[in-house]
Amino acid sequence: MTKEEQQEFKTLVLPHLEELHRTAYHLCHVRCNAEDLVMETVTKACEKFRNLREKTKIKHWLLRILSNTFISSYRSQKGLTMVEYTETTHDDGGGFSLFAELSQPFLLWWGNPERELVNKLMDEEIQKAIGELPQEFRLAIVLCDVEGLSYDEIATMTDVPIGTVRSRIARGRSLLQKKLYHYAQDLGLIHAGRKIHDKAKEFQSEH
Amino acid sequence: MTKQRNFSQNISCEEAIQRIFPYIDDYLQGTSREELEHHLETCRHCFDRVEFEKLLKSRLRKLNIQQKTNLLQKKIEAIIDKF
Ligand SMILES: [Zn+2]
Repeated sequence: MTKEEQQEFKTLVLPHLEELHRTAYHLCHVRCNAEDLVMETVTKACEKFRNLREKTKIKHWLLRILSNTFISSYRSQKGLTMVEYTETTHDDGGGFSLFAELSQPFLLWWGNPERELVNKLMDEEIQKAIGELPQEFRLAIVLCDVEGLSYDEIATMTDVPIGTVRSRIARGRSLLQKKLYHYAQDLGLIHAGRKIHDKAKEFQSEH
Repeated sequence: MTKQRNFSQNISCEEAIQRIFPYIDDYLQGTSREELEHHLETCRHCFDRVEFEKLLKSRLRKLNIQQKTNLLQKKIEAIIDKF
């Protein structure tokens, strides 16, 4: 790159660095890997910069490179908390829903235990749960929920049909909620609520 | 929960739940969206579930990372300068 191109590239890329780092962080979960992922992404972006036509779409272009790099080269590296999964065989949460588990429609005075739980969970706990998701699901959840991208954008970015994006998001959320539920149980955040909830369920089935 | 389907556009809770994620993600359009919105007007349970899923989604959007990007920025600039 010429000096001018380097300068232009910096002007275009650096404003998105925080977002790239954030996405990489949630994908990798471990900080040093996240930095490596961003650096690898920028290196690839430098190589391809001359091919980039629509410079206004640089953020999506960078996220696309980052996603592909995450999927391809980080998949097989050792030291990452990533396990090989296939779309059909791994645990997808089986339609698990925190709301269905925790909400207590018959006990109005009890408040909203499911909403309270979401407010009680710390960033680290949620990040840990995201970090444990199978990588396809994690990528979909991070792009959709953490970064706020649309299904169309995610489909283009990850080169999969939109129906696959939709199902990965649904299954990813279900599995994420299942993990959060187990954390909450371990942390004692939902113990008391459960007992009453179970009684309510008994009541519901008896009447 | 409403299980009965009195009108043609009435959907069951199960059908509604299938559409909740694409709905909160603003992907659901047209008749599917209208049917769900109609269901949500009459079903408190599914309405509450939608509100909960929205809350969880917004919670994820607010996730922060503690790490500073300053040092990374220096490394990135060094990479660019080599090209
Ligand atoms: Zn319903």
